[in-house]
Amino acid sequence: MRGLHVYILLAVAAVALACVDQLNSYWMHVAIIAMFYGILAASWSLLAGYAGLFSLGHMAFASVGGYTSALLVKWYGIPIPLGMAAGIAMCCLLGGVVGWVCLRMSGPYLAIFTLGFAEIIRITFSTEDDVTAGMAGLHTEPLFHTVSRLPYFYTSFALLAASLAIMGWIVRSRWGLFLRAIREDEQAAAASGIAVARFRILVFAIASGFAGLAGVFYAHYIPILTPSLGGLDLMAVLVVMTVIGGMERLPTAVGGAFAVEFLLELLREYGQWRLPIFGVILLVTMRFARNGLLTPIWLRFVRLGEPRSAAPPVARDAGQEDSRA
Amino acid sequence: MMSWDYLFIQSANGAVIGVIYALIAVGVTLIFSILKIVNFAHGDLYMLGGYCAYYVITLFGVPPLAAMFVSMMALFVLAIILERTLLTPLYSDATERKDEYGLIVTFGLAFFLRNMAIIVFGPFPLKPPSFVPGVVRIGNLIVTNDRLFAGVVGIALILALLYFMQRTIWGQALDAVSQSRESAAIVGINTQRFNSFAFGVGAALAAAAGALIAPIFSLAPDMGVLPNIQAYVIVILGGMGSVVGSILAGVVLGETESLFTAFLPDATRALAYTNAFGVLVLMAVLIFRPTGLFGRRHLRME
Repeated sequence: MRGLHVYILLAVAAVALACVDQLNSYWMHVAIIAMFYGILAASWSLLAGYAGLFSLGHMAFASVGGYTSALLVKWYGIPIPLGMAAGIAMCCLLGGVVGWVCLRMSGPYLAIFTLGFAEIIRITFSTEDDVTAGMAGLHTEPLFHTVSRLPYFYTSFALLAASLAIMGWIVRSRWGLFLRAIREDEQAAAASGIAVARFRILVFAIASGFAGLAGVFYAHYIPILTPSLGGLDLMAVLVVMTVIGGMERLPTAVGGAFAVEFLLELLREYGQWRLPIFGVILLVTMRFARNGLLTPIWLRFVRLGEPRSAAPPVARDAGQEDSRA
Repeated sequence: MMSWDYLFIQSANGAVIGVIYALIAVGVTLIFSILKIVNFAHGDLYMLGGYCAYYVITLFGVPPLAAMFVSMMALFVLAIILERTLLTPLYSDATERKDEYGLIVTFGLAFFLRNMAIIVFGPFPLKPPSFVPGVVRIGNLIVTNDRLFAGVVGIALILALLYFMQRTIWGQALDAVSQSRESAAIVGINTQRFNSFAFGVGAALAAAAGALIAPIFSLAPDMGVLPNIQAYVIVILGGMGSVVGSILAGVVLGETESLFTAFLPDATRALAYTNAFGVLVLMAVLIFRPTGLFGRRHLRME
């Protein structure tokens, strides 16, 4: 039975949606934050894993989206959904501009440039405190005026599902192939007729838009927004999540985000030791299993419904993934 | 209106900070020119160097200057161990997209070291004893001895490095490896060994910078984040791989930052935006002149 994994995932999602009201408020919060990171990890994997544009400004885009929406709602009193849309549009636009500016940069230069961009965003937000309330934190309008976190759970679930559907469609289309071609060799891609510049700008705009989506949700979920949302610490956590899961596939990136977020909460008794431990796991992953720890599991899972005598696993994959898959 | 004295003090401070920045940046450049990676963990090696000197001083009662050298040695060894365990895939042809590998590994290493430092050294700032207590007065000008000392030792270290790079056989071999790994191997240079060596020397210079800056500012686990970014500003301004360019750019950046703070009327805002200013310069250079102002053409990153 082909596509068994899709049905299994849908069933798991249905069970999760049905049973979510059994969760206590704390674990529901963890699940919501995990889905927030899931959107970020998936969009960062689109940017860094598929297109090879290693941006360190992804959390900064989330922060830009969050602040845009929260400030518009606060100062101009526009409805929250409109503010959220404005935040996402702002991120798409800014992402496109950043993508355009760093067209000629690759690898480390791009990383340094986006790191600089993130720092400027963070410094500006924390210094202009008469508008953004700075490090004290901006009080934001909540999306739902309910005691329960259930509406937030459903919202974040829907946002994650929609983001994954759109991004999954992108990476399965010709565009996904173009992006991977650009990652492997920009000049060869250009020689094969891919409009490298257009796609680099496009993928930056799209990925930043999704980062903005996560950011606007976060801004109207957590009542206090601080500039540290766009800081290097959270960016490092995002890199850890995505790389440990496997940055070259959307599901493994999201899986990495879920796994790391839940483990961080489960291992709370180890306090500060959690972060360096995940640092070590990241280094070991990069050194010995560069495709990510969840990738082999995912590949096996995808093949679940297929007869064992089918073509060797590598061959089926070769069309979709690069030779290392 | 501000006085001339204030301006002089600010520029003296700027020069010292610039020398320290240059010391960090020279390491980044050296590592880049040999290993062809940007070391995102360099600021954290600088932080470790500062703490190492602090503990050598406070636990063993070693004089500060000697402690700086101990710390340099320790970081040299540590860096070689890190390079051997983590960065060897960079030299293998089986590794694809080495840029990405180097980036993520050094970024992960920085994450690990910074969070480890919070646990081991504690989150609170520490201050080691002064190298030379007291202040120097030149007219109305007051500069602390520590700043003067840091500047002088920093310049001495940079001069030593320049001498080493240009006048000794090992330095010339390093330069050869940076220009062409294959040609260097053909004339009998063990390029693998120079990978480790360059990483070690870069880390040792960062350790010296950390030990020198510790009595002026304090030690904190996240002290490496900003100097790391400033080091990129310098390296990109001065040109990747150019040691002299880094030194010039370091002093220029230190000066501009100090004077920038001095000239802006709103003090808190000026302080916050000094760092943004450096980053802005960095972004401008990356956009308009990606080889840097003194870049060496063969070291341009493609």
